[in-house]
Amino acid sequence: MKPPILIAILATVMTGTMIVMLSSHWLLIWIGFEMNMLAIIPILMKKFNPRAMEASTKYFLTQATASMLLMMGVTINLLYSGQWMISKISNPAASIMMTIALTMKLGLSPFHFWVPEVTQGISLSSGMILLTWQKIAPMSILYQISPSINTDLMTLMALTSVLTGGWGGLNQTQLRKIMAYSSIAHMGWMTAIIIYSPTMMFLNLNYINFYFYIKMSLYILMTLSTFMLFMLSASTTTLSLSHTWNKIPLIASTILTLMLSLGGLPPLSGFIPKWMIIQELTKNDMIVVPTLMAITALLNLYFYMRLTYSTALTMFPSANNMKMKWQFEHTKKMTLLPPLIITSTMLLPIMPMMSILD
Amino acid sequence: MALVLKFLNGTYIFRKCPKPNVASCPFLGTHFVDYCSSSLQKPVAAPGKTSSQRNSEGDLQGHHQREVALDITSPEEKPLVSFDKAIKDEIKDQFRRLKDDIVNHWIGPEGRPLHEVLLEQAKVVWQFRGKEDLDKWMVTSDKTIGGRSEVFLKMSRNNQSALLYGTLSSEAPKDGESGRSGYCAMISRIPRGPFERKRAYDWSQFNTLYLRVRGDGRPWMVNIREDTDIMQRKNQMYSYFMFTRGGPYWQEVKIPFSKFFYSNQGRIRDAQYQLLLDKISSIGFTLADKVDGPFFLEIDFIGVFTDPAHTEEFAYENSPELNPRLFK
Repeated sequence: MKPPILIAILATVMTGTMIVMLSSHWLLIWIGFEMNMLAIIPILMKKFNPRAMEASTKYFLTQATASMLLMMGVTINLLYSGQWMISKISNPAASIMMTIALTMKLGLSPFHFWVPEVTQGISLSSGMILLTWQKIAPMSILYQISPSINTDLMTLMALTSVLTGGWGGLNQTQLRKIMAYSSIAHMGWMTAIIIYSPTMMFLNLNYINFYFYIKMSLYILMTLSTFMLFMLSASTTTLSLSHTWNKIPLIASTILTLMLSLGGLPPLSGFIPKWMIIQELTKNDMIVVPTLMAITALLNLYFYMRLTYSTALTMFPSANNMKMKWQFEHTKKMTLLPPLIITSTMLLPIMPMMSILD
Repeated sequence: MALVLKFLNGTYIFRKCPKPNVASCPFLGTHFVDYCSSSLQKPVAAPGKTSSQRNSEGDLQGHHQREVALDITSPEEKPLVSFDKAIKDEIKDQFRRLKDDIVNHWIGPEGRPLHEVLLEQAKVVWQFRGKEDLDKWMVTSDKTIGGRSEVFLKMSRNNQSALLYGTLSSEAPKDGESGRSGYCAMISRIPRGPFERKRAYDWSQFNTLYLRVRGDGRPWMVNIREDTDIMQRKNQMYSYFMFTRGGPYWQEVKIPFSKFFYSNQGRIRDAQYQLLLDKISSIGFTLADKVDGPFFLEIDFIGVFTDPAHTEEFAYENSPELNPRLFK
């Protein structure tokens, strides 16, 4: 794609998300979602093979359905409350419909079936944008309507998402599918805590729920770093990733820390959101749900460990006779990769400072 | 639909009791016993004992008494189809497959541990050693459009290979719209999981297709189809040619996956795309070389392997004229 066109399309994607995040009028939010979806379709189809077209079609169909459902919920809310502003939704039907629409956009269980298929069909860079940037807009709306979300529905969705993400990613060898299932599981963790965010009744915009934001930002950082490392080594399967020790040994060791951070192991950054979410859930008298979530997160950790085992902890047999391949300078532009890796793995010591945000 | 097909495969036969003589028992009417109780016709029991038992029970139930020889089935006995039992068995079979699927999901990809899958460099995907291996394939010819080609698939000598044979006829069917005809094909059935869900093969760690065949000198086309999730993908196919040499020696055909070219709805497209190996649905062999007459192809096995010397990713170029979207 020519650079000016790519810049214009990416700008439209970003503008769409910004419109969603900054609006308080439901119609404008819906417009933002549509802009975002329509603009990301050419980005998903960067490669133009039949698989990418199939993935873009599936993405478009699910997102369009979700937008329609959202509009339906907005209209019902308009009918019952008489206004378009995003605030507490009085009608439970509208609230449930909006929740379902937004979780469909996010890829939460039971609407998660499109995530692995779409992520597998597109290139690594498009997958990176799909799994990180595209989650921001629906999450921000979920956060804004969080006082009106049906608690049981959300908790059930969160729990099933963590389960699905863990179970589904178990025997995958394709890296993009592994990242898709990891995204489903992490979204589950995020939505579990979103119901317990403090209400915005006093319109006190400084009073944010830092658990949710921390989880969101750390998840984006970790996923960005992982995708960038996969793009550097140009690997899309576990087997090709396991040959990186021969090409770029530094990536092999970085993937080790990054995968364990994604899995939520202390003392890496990925442990921070898990700890805080479990703490907050237990403060709200939920014992069974965080226990189940913590146990099923072990499934996630299992397949991350398998990846690290074959990549970093063992030297997989490769078809190369030399000890190490020639290491050339990287031609791929990996902007901000070192700071991303550091923030994804080493943020745990500054976690107590985050209570300043309270 | 799938259940109906399975039902036709698994009919259950019960031995019917001899028809009662209605004249002798007017009270029973249409109350026939459809299947025999075991005491009535036990072939291993002594004839005297059996007949006395039969007599006593026959009197109770009003059945017509007949002396039945031990091993010969009565000419009046007809196989009955039991719908309920077939459905129940089918459901049990599907749940068993679901349980196996869940257990295999835990063990690793394709039910084997991950390190085994990752370290594998050669794999036999289809082999022909018995009748059940033939069930994984289906044969088709232009008879479906009204042509006159015939094709059959059977096991070869000593059950060591499969023989695909028949007659090709390029006589066009007289339906007013077909101008050409004359093709035969053997296509693998799409692998199914529990409840007939479509599955796909993941050959992403391999890069070459290996076929051990013995043909008669005819050129065949090897077609690979990807997983058909969305309808338009049913028309897409990746093909390459396989030239058989005839002769008594087995031929080993190795086709790298990078050589397969893309065609849609039977036409080779200008814009060519690489065959992606992570969702292979079926493979097929087609013969359509416009030569009338008999043909045969003997296949020993079909496998995939990694050829470390083959580093080509895609054999066909695209140019701005052929595929302008790629060059924007």
